[in-house]
Amino acid sequence: MSLEVEIAFTLNGRAVSAAVPATASALTVLRERFDLAGAKLVCGEGECGACTIIVDGLSRNSCLMPAVDLAGRTVRTVEGLWGERGLDPVQQAFVDTGAVQCGYCTAGMVMQIRHALDRNPAAGEAELRRAIEGNVCRCTGYAKVIEAALAAGQRMRGGGAP
Amino acid sequence: MPLAQELKPLEIDAYVDAVSLDAAVRALADGAGTPVAGGTDLWIQKDLGKRAYGRRLVNIRRVAALGGIAEEGGRIRIGALATMTEILESPLLLRAAPVLPATADRFASVQIRNAATVGGNIANASPAADMVLPLLCLDAEVELARWHENRIDRRRLPLAAFFAGPGKTRALPGELITAVSFDRPAAGSFGAFQKSGPRPALEIARVALCIAGRREGRRLTSVRIAAGAVAPTPIRCPRTEAEIEGVALDDAAIARALESLGREIAPIDDVRGSAWYRRHLAAAFLEEELGRVARS
Amino acid sequence: MNKVIPKHSFVGTRAVKLDAPDKATGRTRYINDLVLPRMLYAKIRRSERVHARILRVDTAKAKALPGVVAVITAADTPEIAIGVLKDNPPLKRDRVRTIRDEIAAVAAESEAICDEALRLIEVEYEDLPTVFDCTEALQPGAPVIHANRPDNIAMAHQFDHGDVAAAEAASDFVVEGAYNVHYVTHCNLGVSCCVADVDVEGRVTLYSQTQYPFIMKMDIAPSLGVHPGDLRVIQPPVGGAFGSKLDVYPYEPICVLLAQKTRRPVKLVFSREEEFVASPTRQPVEFRIRAGMKRDGTLTFRDVDTLLNNGGYTSWGATTPFVTMRTISSHYRVPHVRYRARAIYTNNPYAGSFRGYGNVQATWAVETHMDKMAEVAGLDPIAFRLKNANEPGDVTPQGARLANIDLKGCLRIAAEKSDFLRKWAAYRAGRAAPGRIKRGIGIAASLHNAGGAKIHKSDGCGTILKLDDYARATVITGGSEIGQGLDTVIAQLVADELGLALRDITVVMNDTATGPWDVGVHASRSTYIAGNSARRAARKARAMILDEAAKQANVGVAQLDLRAGFVVQADNGVAIVAIDKLLRQMHFAGEDAKLVMVTDYYEPPSENEDKNHVGDMSAAYSHAAHVAEIAVDTRTGEIKVETIWSVQDVGRIVNRNGIEGQIEGGIAMGLGYALSEELVIERGRVRNPSFRDYHVMTAPEMPKIDMTFLETGDAEGPAGAKGIAELPTIVIAPAVGNALYNATGVRIDHPPLAAEKVARAIWERAQRSTRAAP
Ligand SMILES: Cc1cc2nc3c(=O)[nH]c(=O)nc-3n(C[C@H](O)[C@H](O)[C@H](O)COP(=O)(O)OP(=O)(O)OC[C@H]3O[C@@H](n4cnc5c(N)ncnc54)[C@H](O)[C@@H]3O)c2cc1C
Repeated sequence: MSLEVEIAFTLNGRAVSAAVPATASALTVLRERFDLAGAKLVCGEGECGACTIIVDGLSRNSCLMPAVDLAGRTVRTVEGLWGERGLDPVQQAFVDTGAVQCGYCTAGMVMQIRHALDRNPAAGEAELRRAIEGNVCRCTGYAKVIEAALAAGQRMRGGGAP
Repeated sequence: MPLAQELKPLEIDAYVDAVSLDAAVRALADGAGTPVAGGTDLWIQKDLGKRAYGRRLVNIRRVAALGGIAEEGGRIRIGALATMTEILESPLLLRAAPVLPATADRFASVQIRNAATVGGNIANASPAADMVLPLLCLDAEVELARWHENRIDRRRLPLAAFFAGPGKTRALPGELITAVSFDRPAAGSFGAFQKSGPRPALEIARVALCIAGRREGRRLTSVRIAAGAVAPTPIRCPRTEAEIEGVALDDAAIARALESLGREIAPIDDVRGSAWYRRHLAAAFLEEELGRVARS
Repeated sequence: MNKVIPKHSFVGTRAVKLDAPDKATGRTRYINDLVLPRMLYAKIRRSERVHARILRVDTAKAKALPGVVAVITAADTPEIAIGVLKDNPPLKRDRVRTIRDEIAAVAAESEAICDEALRLIEVEYEDLPTVFDCTEALQPGAPVIHANRPDNIAMAHQFDHGDVAAAEAASDFVVEGAYNVHYVTHCNLGVSCCVADVDVEGRVTLYSQTQYPFIMKMDIAPSLGVHPGDLRVIQPPVGGAFGSKLDVYPYEPICVLLAQKTRRPVKLVFSREEEFVASPTRQPVEFRIRAGMKRDGTLTFRDVDTLLNNGGYTSWGATTPFVTMRTISSHYRVPHVRYRARAIYTNNPYAGSFRGYGNVQATWAVETHMDKMAEVAGLDPIAFRLKNANEPGDVTPQGARLANIDLKGCLRIAAEKSDFLRKWAAYRAGRAAPGRIKRGIGIAASLHNAGGAKIHKSDGCGTILKLDDYARATVITGGSEIGQGLDTVIAQLVADELGLALRDITVVMNDTATGPWDVGVHASRSTYIAGNSARRAARKARAMILDEAAKQANVGVAQLDLRAGFVVQADNGVAIVAIDKLLRQMHFAGEDAKLVMVTDYYEPPSENEDKNHVGDMSAAYSHAAHVAEIAVDTRTGEIKVETIWSVQDVGRIVNRNGIEGQIEGGIAMGLGYALSEELVIERGRVRNPSFRDYHVMTAPEMPKIDMTFLETGDAEGPAGAKGIAELPTIVIAPAVGNALYNATGVRIDHPPLAAEKVARAIWERAQRSTRAAP
């Protein structure tokens, strides 16, 4: 049996706690203890970004993050972006521009773009392409994803739809 | 409920969430502990069963004393927990040692840079550890600490003397890297980092090369050259440095430097690239950097 | 007083993909996320040897591990093989032929327990001689992979048209070339996965990523000992497929066998490493091409011989010659054709189908070769291609009737938009100039089926459509949604016929228990075939509604239209009655009650090939031309693709977001094939089974893409649409290769154009020229 550690943290705005195996990844715990299946296990080695979550304002590959290190932190997942005021601008832009095909990378992409725009809502195309260099998409060729990110940035800056 | 998707669990029997350096080194004192910082190397290696780890997992992530990037008395100190993102964005480094942020910019992806620490990059001792190269060129020292005879025992080692082989360092059992430090480069110093592509960053280097020094017209002085993925550890190339030091750079001088570099590196063939290509790239990188100086 | 409703069409707009909101919020549960009550997990013990006799398999220790519920080997299973040639038993009894071979499987309470149990299974092997190369496998005395094929030839195809020898004699130039195309793999983000559930009666529900659910039932049932009728296939959302799931592979029968044995639901998920090692690849091919022409550049013949490394077992890779042959015989006017293909058993992994199926390989060879021929003829790449381009009305040597194609348009527009000829000449002249970075431009084109491909007795698809009392339509289609956007296209086509909004349409699919038969999602066929069927069903429902409305209003049906939920006067759009109200009147009409419920089965007007491979196998054909402009670092060999001009004959755009996404995504996949992707297989073992060492394109590497759609309008396609999804992946690689040649004068015949390979070729040429210099 794996050693379990009690941790408490803030998950999508709520205080939560759980006993987690000391060797489990944050991804496993979010998916299996908190039933948040948006983030995906795709490569398990930080090469694809499908498991991206935001921890204390920084995007992380949750597959490589020790779950125990979630203790005391503030965690956002894709499920937490859809709030009472509707979809997050990034989510809305993904829907509108056709940035979603199979959708397996989408949760990670949305979180990573949200992270990039949080740091710089005026990020341009080249910066946004670099921002998702750690997110693999096999369907879209990234063009619509970048289009969505630019549109979302514009909306977040109060510019309405481009 | 079983955690069905967890891969091969690392069997440990204790977890320590260290909040102070004291707590961290005590937890590691018997040499049976494994520190974890960003986890970006550790988590993969444990899943692949590539390394055996101690039975005690020691999370050092919250040890404030291990963080920060600061200058004191002309010496710049980067805490072991400084992440690649922090290095990339550090106003101090952007001013005083821009080759470090430039290297961070070629390092992994945003998510990994947000997690990966400089201490982990050094401790992991990969021949392809990128951040080690500019640090070697800055003559950096590794600061180490361990719990010994009921107190924290600290020492420093030149980074160039720290690596013992792929994945092996000269750290003592239970010893933690606390920081790397180096003298603030003199005004007018330059540094450049080159890495195989074509991806801008997310690539384990087939070859990486760093060059630093001072530029005086078409001459370089205080030349430092370091190369990654061309030997069992990241290396300095002292003979090539000597070849270049103070010499007016022209085609013949550059050719001599490239020849010397070819003798100093010993790359291997693997699935990422052949030894031939590694030599070819290392030469291309050096030639490009020296050519820039020669033409200036 | 009544409101006036203008005509509106969803076809041609940017429709929001129906499932995008759920996917963007993390609500969608994929097959990999599926959990059933009391579900067990399963894992496969694979061979460590590439070719060996299995002397002993001991599962006793694994069975004794707490949490293990069942361990099976070939001894526990029906001895029935799967695959195109039925040469692949799900569990191997006495022999392993590839590194991925399945020897035993475990079902347990968790994956971790499965892993532990796999380690406890003892296997004793006796190594057998190995062979990995096609030519070596054809030598007398080579190790025999399957006893019933002592010559190691798994499959052979040939096509002959005209008189190649005479054509050669009459040619002014004959150009020869050899092109070896490599192993790549799909890299679906969702790894291979299935869940099997068996009921008390022995009926099986299989949650599968399959792309051909209906035919799959027939293919998999024998290996399970169940009647195909007792199998229900459900396709939950998947993380990509791209052709990888068009056959039955051993893991699915294994999963069902474990569910049968344990009487509990069983889920089997690959690890990422397993996905690289044990899922099908794209078919690698060795091409030898000879092609002739007249002095003016008119093609006279093509003579092509190919060897396909079949690996240890036969899946769809071995049948890619069906499509390769079409490109060889029908892409450009080629009066005389000879084509030979042999798929050779070796101890390598085996190939399946993969987006562009046989045509990615063929187009690499043909379009690289065309560039070489243009140079020999002294023509520029555009002029040479235009000279030999097919025209509407052509009937190709294989009997394809090219009706409303526009290859010349594709070539001309691509050339104009990219300023091709000027750049091409300038970059060629720039080769000799000093400077490390060279720029180049290249073009390639291809032909692909765009109206399905009749490889089965039927290439059809069925639809059931009903309207409820609130004028919401439910469309139950046999077509499959795997992320490509068929759901949305069907909703658009149906909404237009019924005058409803997109959100009034529910598309029900991906379940053989509800959906009527369909061939599957392959061959760029779904919009065309499933779309046509849905549209025809909607037209039948429309007719019922209009009939009733016409009766009530006492006007002719032709005077009415359906718009925005209303029956309106066709000429002025004045609303007459709300459709939902009319539907309720029809429904609650006592003895005369009519519920609007219709069915359709659409069979496209295409033909099976005859035994000589002649037949008009698709209801439509289309072309695309791509121009790639690149910058090459002649020292590092790194190629930066800067801009792609893509011109494609699409018939008609249905969903603009969808079609752009298919082209952009197809180009990304094709660029990976061209530049960076290669599954490195050495002596039967995969050397780079991870995204760390197998590089797919990432966002910063992608070029600017300039798309032009030629809307030629297909008479048969739904609203004029053609199938479009494979061509962008097919065309791009040779355009890049041709650009590399334009930039540097270095030709790389064997993709990928990886940095090291390019650097080496450029360096070797420089060595040669210094040596040659006095
Ligand atoms: C997708 C991906 C891309 C990558 N790209 C690059 C790249 O471009 N360039 C590159 O160089 N590397 C790269 N890496 C490797 C890795 O990210 C770096 O080596 C990173 O700096 C490791 O830091 P960490 O904090 O994550 O280390 P951890 O994984 O936490 O630890 C690594 C090792 O160091 C030990 N350790 C950690 N901190 C200390 C300390 N303070 N004292 C003593 N021992 C310690 C641990 O016990 C462990 O053995 C990549 C990794 C991934 C997953």
